[in-house]
Amino acid sequence: MKRRVALKNLALSFGGLMALPTWAENWSEQSLVAVQAYLTPDQEALLAEITETILPTTDTPGAKDLKIHLFVHKMISDCYEPEVQANVVKGLETAEQLAKQTYAKTFATCDTKQREEILTTMEISIDPNWASFYKLVKDLTLQGYLTSEYYLTNHTNYKMIPGHFYGCVPAPTPQAQLQK
Amino acid sequence: MANLTIDAVKEMTFDAIVIGSGISGGWAAKELTGKGLRTLVLERGRDVKHVVDYPTANLNPWEFEHRGQVPLEIRKQNPIESQKRGLFNEATMHFVVKDGEQPYIEDKPFNWTRGYHVGGKSLLWARQTQRWSDFDFEGPARDGFAVDWPIRYKDLAPWYSYVEKFAGISGNKDGLPHLPDGEFLPATEMSCVDAYFKDQIAKHYQDRQMIQGRCAHLTQPKEVHYQQGRAKCQHRALCVRGCPFGGYFSSNASTLPWAAKTGKMTLRPHSVVHSIIYDDKKGRATGVRVVDANTKEMLEYYAKIIFVNASALNTNLILLNSTSSRFENGLGNDSGVLGKYVAFHNYRARISAQFESLMDKTTDGKTPNHSYIPRFRNVHKQETDFLRGYAAGFGGGRGMIKNKEGIGATLKEQLLNPVLGPWNVSSWMMGETIPKESNFVTLDKTLKDPYGIPQMRFSVAFDDNDEKMIQDYLEQFTEMFTKAGFTNIKPVDSKSAPGSDIHEMGGVRMGKDPKTSILNKWNQMHACKNVFVTDGACMTSTATQNPSLTYMAFTARAADFAVKEMKKGNI
Ligand SMILES: Cc1cc2nc3c(=O)[nH]c(=O)nc-3n(C[C@H](O)[C@H](O)[C@H](O)COP(=O)(O)OP(=O)(O)OC[C@H]3O[C@@H](n4cnc5c(N)ncnc54)[C@H](O)[C@@H]3O)c2cc1C
Ligand code: SF4
Repeated sequence: MKRRVALKNLALSFGGLMALPTWAENWSEQSLVAVQAYLTPDQEALLAEITETILPTTDTPGAKDLKIHLFVHKMISDCYEPEVQANVVKGLETAEQLAKQTYAKTFATCDTKQREEILTTMEISIDPNWASFYKLVKDLTLQGYLTSEYYLTNHTNYKMIPGHFYGCVPAPTPQAQLQK
Repeated sequence: MANLTIDAVKEMTFDAIVIGSGISGGWAAKELTGKGLRTLVLERGRDVKHVVDYPTANLNPWEFEHRGQVPLEIRKQNPIESQKRGLFNEATMHFVVKDGEQPYIEDKPFNWTRGYHVGGKSLLWARQTQRWSDFDFEGPARDGFAVDWPIRYKDLAPWYSYVEKFAGISGNKDGLPHLPDGEFLPATEMSCVDAYFKDQIAKHYQDRQMIQGRCAHLTQPKEVHYQQGRAKCQHRALCVRGCPFGGYFSSNASTLPWAAKTGKMTLRPHSVVHSIIYDDKKGRATGVRVVDANTKEMLEYYAKIIFVNASALNTNLILLNSTSSRFENGLGNDSGVLGKYVAFHNYRARISAQFESLMDKTTDGKTPNHSYIPRFRNVHKQETDFLRGYAAGFGGGRGMIKNKEGIGATLKEQLLNPVLGPWNVSSWMMGETIPKESNFVTLDKTLKDPYGIPQMRFSVAFDDNDEKMIQDYLEQFTEMFTKAGFTNIKPVDSKSAPGSDIHEMGGVRMGKDPKTSILNKWNQMHACKNVFVTDGACMTSTATQNPSLTYMAFTARAADFAVKEMKKGNI
């Protein structure tokens, strides 16, 4: 943490670099306004349960703790074609339907095993829309997790300024890696 | 009234004009202002001030809203750029030229990579810097392609030293006759797999070497670098976002602020140069016409000497568009070769592999550099069925492998416990293409860009010589990788269009004979003595070295000559 504060100070001393990019004059402001969030609060809540099923809270934070569903929602809003967005809405409905048909419960009230089964059913389904819905949500969930501040600063040796490159150091043994 | 006009003309009059503020224009600005000339630097794009205008330089991965991906709306507005490699992402898209900014016509496919802002491509380049040798300068004379260069290595050597010391180039003294040593700061470190491959090459081949790349990074800054306000490279390897430390050489961090300090530089961004004004009566160029990018107003600026540094193909465009009754086909184009003999480097082929030894070793940190295999084909004599040769890059490292299968707690465990993978290695070719009359650019007679400037038509393509070279590279490197014990070897020909190779050159070539070239040995127009072209357009042939260091040396040398000639009253 100290290091990050130092970094921010350094950045500030370089002229307020931590301000979010405005993309200068090269890109029109308008083009940068995020597209309207397209999921309803209920749909977003269901998305949160799905991301949590993919990466649950264990002895370390899970997807909901890290607000990964918000990242997934934002990515789908801003970066994907309307067809893909529509398929995500359909996929959420499908997950909910499967929960009701199979377990007579909402997805949110299913237990972990039941939820995993629903999502795995979708993953291996011959319906390409089900499969691509799940693949997209899973890929984005993992992307959000693996690039989160939490993951990078706690589980990798992420540093903005390593200040060095050593071309040849002993590799950690598998045991050492596991203990880390 | 009469007085007013004279004052207005005075305000628009400078000692020198430099067109473009990129790698070569930055040097022209520094040298000319340093010699006391009031210099106007015209730049078509917006200003990019060192540090202040690098909005993403210090962002952490999680601070990018879309983790690097470009939002759909912006991609839709820029379909051409978004298909291009690399630079069009959330961290660097503000340095990318938008579709529509300068449409051009591809009679043959050409991926024109540009950087339109103060600093040009000096913010975006990969910073590899090697000198040429006489094997390169004598190449055309020996093989009979292009025309003979009007200079040799000894003419440029002191100027290489001059620019290297200021820019800060790291490297080793390798003692290779075909890749002369320079004024080096300490080299960056090789990884174990690089060092291993270097030894393997030395063991199996007499004629090949691998060396540590020579790159424009301050590994150990000297006084002159601190005076520029630059500091040691921190190995962040985020260089294309702009470096707050000035760790690598860019016009923004180095030459332009230096020129500004003299008080002699006027930098005018948003100034799209339309053409150079030639005065038939005076028999010289008197200034330039500029379209103000914001108001679209046409302005004129005047000067005694003009340096054209708009980057190779834009320099061609400006000169082709500079017509007068004396030069109906473009400024200085008595020979008719203007726009022709465009050449570039062939980056089409690459090869990757894995290495499952040295598993007890890895690397730590990041490096902005890689290894380099200088040209080994046809160096001392013609020995293959293609002309010239290729250099190659090489780099290797180990990554963490994360198992992304499954779901739930097990999946999370896997992500939290990645395992160190094998070494991944790769190499990419940088081949010399032969300048040919049939590779050329012209201006369209009717189509214009948003500034009313004719659109450029591209007719540049690979030829048989390039195809043979690609084959040879892939064969030789497959053999070298096999001998080194690498596995899973994957040779690839990307089939990318010219232009993707980012090192375009020629069209305004140097030569001894005004009948077959545009520029003399001082980068001065044979037919219009106060115009100098010192960017890639001047190149008679292309060699295999990354070109920008040579543009810097040419620029400093030509500026020195130009000012001396001015003082003697010759121009
Ligand atoms: C991704 C990438 C990697 C590269 N890696 C390397 C490398 O490792 N080593 C190397 O040597 N080279 C490398 N290069 C190439 C290098 O960037 C160029 O050779 C170099 O920048 C050319 O310098 P220049 O001055 O000719 O042009 P630029 O640096 O492009 O500058 C030209 C300037 O002129 C301005 N301009 C253009 N037209 C006009 C006009 N009509 N009016 C006013 N201004 C105008 C432009 O906006 C620009 O600012 C790389 C390039 C790229 C894109
Ligand atoms: S690697 Fe060096 S030059 Fe590149 S961004 Fe980092 S500190 Fe700057």
